[in-house]
Amino acid sequence: MKAMPERERFHPLFEHWARAVRTRLLARRVLTGLTLGLVLAVIPAVLAWRTRHGALRPLCTLLGVVGAAAGVVVARRKRWSDQDVALWLDDRLETEEAITTAVELRNQAEDDDEARAVVVSTAAAALAAGDEKRARPSIFRPLHALAPLAVVGFVLVLRSPLPATPVVAQAPGEARVQLAQVEGLKKVAQLGQATARDEAQKERLEKIAKDAEKLRADLEKGLEKREALDRIAKLRDQIAAERLTLGEGEKRAGLEAAVSKLEQNDATKEAAKALGDHDLEKMDREMERIANAREKRDRDAAKRALEDAAAAAKANGAPDVGKALDQEKKSLEERERRAEALRDLEKAMEDSGLASPDQRKEAESLDRKGSDEAARKLADSMGKALEKLSPEERKRLADKLKQQSGKGGTQSSPEDLKDLADDLSTPEGQKKLEDELKDLAKEDDESPESKGQQGLDDAQEGADGAEGDINGQGQEGQGPGKGGSKVPIPLPGPGSGPGDGNGNGGNGHGSGNGEGNASGDGTGGTGHHHDTGTGPHDGRTEVVGAASTLKSRAHGAMNRAPGMPGTTTGWTPGKSGATANVQGTGALGAAGPSEVDGVDHSDVPEEYREQVRQYFQP
Amino acid sequence: MTNDFEARLQQAKGAIATLRDAIGKVIVGQSDVVDQVMWGLAAGGHVLLEGAPGLGKTLLVRTLAQCLDLRFSRIQFTPDLMPSDVVGTNVLVMDAAQRAAGSMFQVQRGPIFGQIVLADEINRATPKTQSALLEAMAEHAVTIAGQRLPLEEPFFVLATENPIEMEGTYPLPEAQLDRFLLKVVVPNPSEDELCEVLVRTTGRAPAASPRVMDRDAVMMLRGMCRDVAVAEPVLRYAARLVRASDPTTGEAPETVKRALRYGAGVRGAQSLVLAAKAVALCEGRANVSFEDIQRVARPALRHRLIRSFEGEAEGTTTDTVIEALLGTVGTRPASVEAERPRGAK
Repeated sequence: MKAMPERERFHPLFEHWARAVRTRLLARRVLTGLTLGLVLAVIPAVLAWRTRHGALRPLCTLLGVVGAAAGVVVARRKRWSDQDVALWLDDRLETEEAITTAVELRNQAEDDDEARAVVVSTAAAALAAGDEKRARPSIFRPLHALAPLAVVGFVLVLRSPLPATPVVAQAPGEARVQLAQVEGLKKVAQLGQATARDEAQKERLEKIAKDAEKLRADLEKGLEKREALDRIAKLRDQIAAERLTLGEGEKRAGLEAAVSKLEQNDATKEAAKALGDHDLEKMDREMERIANAREKRDRDAAKRALEDAAAAAKANGAPDVGKALDQEKKSLEERERRAEALRDLEKAMEDSGLASPDQRKEAESLDRKGSDEAARKLADSMGKALEKLSPEERKRLADKLKQQSGKGGTQSSPEDLKDLADDLSTPEGQKKLEDELKDLAKEDDESPESKGQQGLDDAQEGADGAEGDINGQGQEGQGPGKGGSKVPIPLPGPGSGPGDGNGNGGNGHGSGNGEGNASGDGTGGTGHHHDTGTGPHDGRTEVVGAASTLKSRAHGAMNRAPGMPGTTTGWTPGKSGATANVQGTGALGAAGPSEVDGVDHSDVPEEYREQVRQYFQP
Repeated sequence: MTNDFEARLQQAKGAIATLRDAIGKVIVGQSDVVDQVMWGLAAGGHVLLEGAPGLGKTLLVRTLAQCLDLRFSRIQFTPDLMPSDVVGTNVLVMDAAQRAAGSMFQVQRGPIFGQIVLADEINRATPKTQSALLEAMAEHAVTIAGQRLPLEEPFFVLATENPIEMEGTYPLPEAQLDRFLLKVVVPNPSEDELCEVLVRTTGRAPAASPRVMDRDAVMMLRGMCRDVAVAEPVLRYAARLVRASDPTTGEAPETVKRALRYGAGVRGAQSLVLAAKAVALCEGRANVSFEDIQRVARPALRHRLIRSFEGEAEGTTTDTVIEALLGTVGTRPASVEAERPRGAK
């Protein structure tokens, strides 16, 4: 019976063809989904590249996988039925719907309908002889050509280096600064322990120290640069105000009266000048020199001058000045007594043949320099010599001292010398004398006002250094100017001592309190004894390279008081970086050809510079 | 059994081809007309032939009748033709012996009692006479004096219409046109065909056509035609075509909505499928294809579509509308149609 084989033949044949057709349709839809996914994946990959999220680029390939999966889902949803497959095959094999009819009737008994059996047979024959290539649906569509293009594009995006981070211009004041252990602010914070003139000043200094400490802590956490500079500027103003309270404003007359008195005495002229400049430190050094001088006449004259000056200051409404001068006089007297005692003892030891070469050298140094340091060294030297004396030598020395006291012409009084001789007579006394000499070697005779002034100087220096750190400078401070060369605009740095070179300049009307820099011949002096800088102290500066950036800053405050008596008020054109003591050669704000970055990088706003320029012009 | 049916299929195909050839020896050209008449014959329906005079409509029918071993009768419709002239009547018995036997009247059968009936110029007869014929066409039986007389199978009516002389004629109403399975339009011959016609008709009279098919063969054809399988997609295609011909449905194209008043209707769909089966049978196939439906669309539907006033005013023919339908209605589902290569029919 042929009917059975025909039906059996058609079923597997049709299933084979149907499977092939459906598989190709599935493949095409998956490929379409993959293509669309890859094309879409390029877009977020490009976006990730543009936004510099390089790690996200490879993840965009997942879109391709998602697209392929979507293709599978769509293919399953749009899966062709047997009838659709049959219609497709009828069309491609040109079987005039025999296959479609056979699919529909295949399950019916052939015995019922002869025509249906013929149809199934015809369809089976057509499928068996059919051209598979002709009947297969195409997998590829023109859209699929985008897939390799998308892959190429994707690879390009993956391999392309990320674009550079754009430099975003920050609005002014948005810059933040974060600094750890700002050394300059440590010096300002030490103002809390500085010698204060009175309780009010002590409170003010403690407040400044506290503010400095707070600023230091805030800088460690991070702070807006603008705010940091503002707070530093306030600290500096407060420090400068403490330095200027001495004889400022309504106390100006008292100060000038005191200065005038000191000027009347030759010995204290320099001290008068220092007082006029509010430089109590320098005044103290002058007094130190006078006190350690050999000539008693100068010392007495200085003492008298100090008394008169103190009285004049107090009489003219500057009690602080008077108090400072009283302290200076006291300090002078103490120094005087010490120097006298040391000289007399040294002479006795010299005459007794007990002086060491070092001792002689220190004695000469004391005569030459007249400094407390020399006196301390002499005391130290003599103390060491006394330790080595034998009892006979000690007795000899004591006898010598007694002789001196009887003769006169000593520095110390006869009673003091006698007491000294008595001390040497006994071992206990000698020990006591040795201890006293050791104490002398360590003694600090500086006046409280001077100490306070030094503390303020250190704090000012520290504030300048901190400001430099905030501005990102942090350069070593320049030492005093080098002779003969044009000095560039100096940097306030740690360890730079104040120069004490004198220039020839007109008398300025300012009362600036800046760090001077000599631009004339001669070398600058060594730094002050408070100088703890690590830079060279031989009066030379390093060559300023072109790569360095130098700035200058004016600390001067406007002096509204009438001019000092005996001074000539005038105007002189200033020069960037110059002080009122130096004759300027150009208008302020104009940098010379050899000045590096003088004005261009100035922090002083243009309108202020213009104002200052007008101030210095005649 | 499969072999038997297949053998009969091939046999039918051969017989049709032989018949076509036999007719072709008499009728010059007109192959489509001949095919459509074959379809009508195989489908068991009736065919309306429309064409200008002298195109060989009557000759075709006469030749067909000669080739088929069937009883042929011709009815020339005239305006004075009575229904009884078509179907027959009771007549008085003249023979005394018969009268004595009790039969006063006997049925005189009319020309309708042929197996192949040529109703020439049917549109010239009155509607009453037309209805007598159409009733017989529909029921395959006539009633004479209350006596129902069946018509012998196969009963095949070929009617003709002359579209030129419409004056004094009674165009068949649409309801009666529906009785005809197909309406075949006989075209004018080409030059070559006309020459051939002249040669044949102005020379010696041709010999009579041989009989190539007998009654049993025709009945077998008709039976096999009904056995031809139709797949559901093909049936649905025929149904979509007919629905699209109805201007009130959403599937109707703009041409249909503008030019038609009424669509083909159910009989139109039946005619489509039946005629398509006949086409498949004539080609030796046991199943109907989409192409078969498309081939029979015009002859099966052109006389069933009723034009609107706008269609008539514009001169839009029903053939144009059918063309629009075939171009609009898709054969396959959209998913399969989308996969076909561009340009495929």
